[in-house]
Amino acid sequence: MPRSSKIFRYVSKRLLQGIPIIIAIIVINFFLLNLAEGDAVDVLAGEAGSATPEYMEQLRKKFGLDQPLPVQLAVYLKNVLVLDLGYSFRHEMAVQDLIFDRFAATALLMTSTIILAVGFGILLGLMAAMRLNTWKDAVITVFALITYATPLFWVGLMMIVVFSLYLGWFPTSGMENVAAFYEGWDRVVDIAHHLVLPTITLSLFYLALYTRMMRASMLEQYGQDYVVTARAKGLTERRITFVHVLRNALLPVVTMAGVQVGALIGGSVIVESVFAWPGLGMLAFESLFARDLNLLLGIFLLSSILVVVVNLVVDIIYCFLDPRIDVE
Amino acid sequence: MKKMLSTLCVVATMAFGAVAAYAQNSGGTLSFLVQPEPPTLASYVSTSGPIGLVMPKVYEGLFDYANDGSMVPILAESYDMSADGKTVTFKLRKGVKWHDGKPFTSADVQFTIMEVLKKVHPRGPNSFREVEEILTPDAHTAVFKLKKPAPYMMRSFSAYESPIVPKHLLEGQDVKAAPLANKPVGTGPFKFVEWKKGQYIRLDKNENYWQEGLPYLDRIVGRFIPDASTRTAAMENGEVLYAAYNAIPNIDAVRLKDRDDIDVTTKGYSMINPMALIEFNTKEGAFVDPAIRRAISTAIDRRFMIDTIFFGYGKPATSALSSNFSATNLHAAMPNYPEKGDKDAANAILDKAGFKKDANGVRMKAVLDIIPYGEDWRRAGEYLKQAMGDIGIELELRYEDVPTWLKRVYHNYDFEMNVNYFYQLPDPVLGVHRHYGTDQIRKGTHFVNSSRYSNPKLDALLDSGAGEPDAAKRTAKYKEIQQILAEDMPVVNLFELEFLVVYNTKLKGVYDSAMGAYGSFREGYLD
Repeated sequence: MPRSSKIFRYVSKRLLQGIPIIIAIIVINFFLLNLAEGDAVDVLAGEAGSATPEYMEQLRKKFGLDQPLPVQLAVYLKNVLVLDLGYSFRHEMAVQDLIFDRFAATALLMTSTIILAVGFGILLGLMAAMRLNTWKDAVITVFALITYATPLFWVGLMMIVVFSLYLGWFPTSGMENVAAFYEGWDRVVDIAHHLVLPTITLSLFYLALYTRMMRASMLEQYGQDYVVTARAKGLTERRITFVHVLRNALLPVVTMAGVQVGALIGGSVIVESVFAWPGLGMLAFESLFARDLNLLLGIFLLSSILVVVVNLVVDIIYCFLDPRIDVE
Repeated sequence: MKKMLSTLCVVATMAFGAVAAYAQNSGGTLSFLVQPEPPTLASYVSTSGPIGLVMPKVYEGLFDYANDGSMVPILAESYDMSADGKTVTFKLRKGVKWHDGKPFTSADVQFTIMEVLKKVHPRGPNSFREVEEILTPDAHTAVFKLKKPAPYMMRSFSAYESPIVPKHLLEGQDVKAAPLANKPVGTGPFKFVEWKKGQYIRLDKNENYWQEGLPYLDRIVGRFIPDASTRTAAMENGEVLYAAYNAIPNIDAVRLKDRDDIDVTTKGYSMINPMALIEFNTKEGAFVDPAIRRAISTAIDRRFMIDTIFFGYGKPATSALSSNFSATNLHAAMPNYPEKGDKDAANAILDKAGFKKDANGVRMKAVLDIIPYGEDWRRAGEYLKQAMGDIGIELELRYEDVPTWLKRVYHNYDFEMNVNYFYQLPDPVLGVHRHYGTDQIRKGTHFVNSSRYSNPKLDALLDSGAGEPDAAKRTAKYKEIQQILAEDMPVVNLFELEFLVVYNTKLKGVYDSAMGAYGSFREGYLD
């Protein structure tokens, strides 16, 4: 069978397997979230200062919260099947629209972070491994340790203090300059300008992880028999490193990156909060405290789909990196 | 007929005279902090704080209130109250248009009060409870017919408390579900343009505003920044120019105010009138005996709490009513409210009441719930734990998230002692009665009588005090109310909170309204 059709069959099989996983995630999330005390109506009424019990009863009815839990779950599952994620009563908006609105910001931050972190992580790890036990290796290792151990919110705030307040190079927060409301290319530049600090902050943490992983993985590969063979064949060190060792050393890094794409959706809450970046993490965080379960379930659904898909992509990348790995 | 027209005209001239006195710069964008992001923009359904920061720029009320408490005519030009206090006639402004171009008329006022505020607003049913009907003899006259005189009603016509909404966009619809909620159309100086979730709300200048020459600003943008330190940095960087309701924490505000370009004021909160307090469960648990509650009030060092935890911003409470009610002569200082706290006296009260200390010096144990609105309150709880320990009450602190806490206190009554704060609003009928009346024991309703304190004598006084048109008699009734409450203390008031407005001195003209950040900013300009 040709490889392309093999891959196609593999992808469809994996996607089919993903469906029960995602349904299971929805059901578990649904019951877990409903374990929390209080509901969306309590929060809305609480924020309003005071509200009559009749009003709250009315709201519950409107939100469908007066129904027993299994009925609520069945209604929700039925809606998901027709790609309707429900309505956020807190935001008075369809959940799809809310998530879509915020997903762009998340995707932007996520992509730039992954590229920066994985790219520089591989580069630094490679350099450290090639210059093992020299001062370069020591500097890179110490840098990785420090960035890994520093709390994200602190890094973020220090970035703001240094680059916004003292140097004035970047805005403190937000995604756009709200006094100007740029259009077209000016807007792209403006958003990129706002993206710099959050991306660097979020990347630093992951960068450290990839650097250390890449370094360890390179060293492990250097000790393998095939490296000895290659040397005996008379290949240059350069060719051994870049063609043979690097390719094999990348496998664990790719695995890690795949796992972290899923985590980045929720894991950027701190950076989103510090830089007022309008992403999904913050939305999820707020909706938890507002007991906006429809919205929260929608976000969880999206991230579970993302995890399933990214894992699949990672598996496919494997077989390109290492021809010995085959899809079955 | 008791004429009030003349006084109003004087106020009007003063307010508008002030406008003409400066040379204002037109144009510019004001970015200010809105914290947290509002759930919706339906200020006629919810009084939630962040909605109040945005919507009074879009919807207007019949009146605004100046810092000295006087009424500033907005959509109403004047009013006239009959001698028996049961008919109030409003002359409405002519030539006012909604943002969609339709004219504003008395029918909008009638519809707003009767169909919207009286029915779906959290506080409207209380503010307008005596309003039986509203007559509209012509397009610019609205006559309120009351069952009983309601002097307090005249304090609730601001754009925040009672926004006037367009009848033509709500009539025949479910008011709570109408699309107007997030696409507001008002008469105000600014028009709603866009709400980017997680980022900002943008309002642009209303070019057809009824008052010639206003507003000065071209645009107002309310920004949401979740992290307090970043909010402070944005203020320092001049990215935002105005922050109210402690969007900038006191700890940062005291540092920022030393800068030349940033200043701080406590003005603009007198109509909100926030009071920090402790609610007690008077039905079960450790604090059923009023003597213990008196002892607790006596032991607390209110000055220490204000100075140490709130950086000096606050006034020690001296009664169940805020001293801001002195303006209407309703406040009277009471015993059991020492500023500095008197632990010996408190111990003596407890000894006399028969609560003995055990070998470890503990008389009783209890759990103190803390309002989950930030670190300051946690610290207040920590102070109370220590202070109560000194008089033999061992407290355990409990800090939960908002829905859990609300459910515990106002639904399940599963608490003993709860640190909280209430808005006392511009009149006790609006803000204080809900705490003590028997009719305010409403299971599941938030921020009412959670103590379940019930005293028929007090109920009668509250009822007759509410509608008493004679000022001297009203004063006497409220004095008696405060005496009863100082004796029974179902709630121990701690201190009058002084919220801060932190602002860039470039921004001018927004500090004269008693509504403060909940004002219209129509006279705001950038220097």
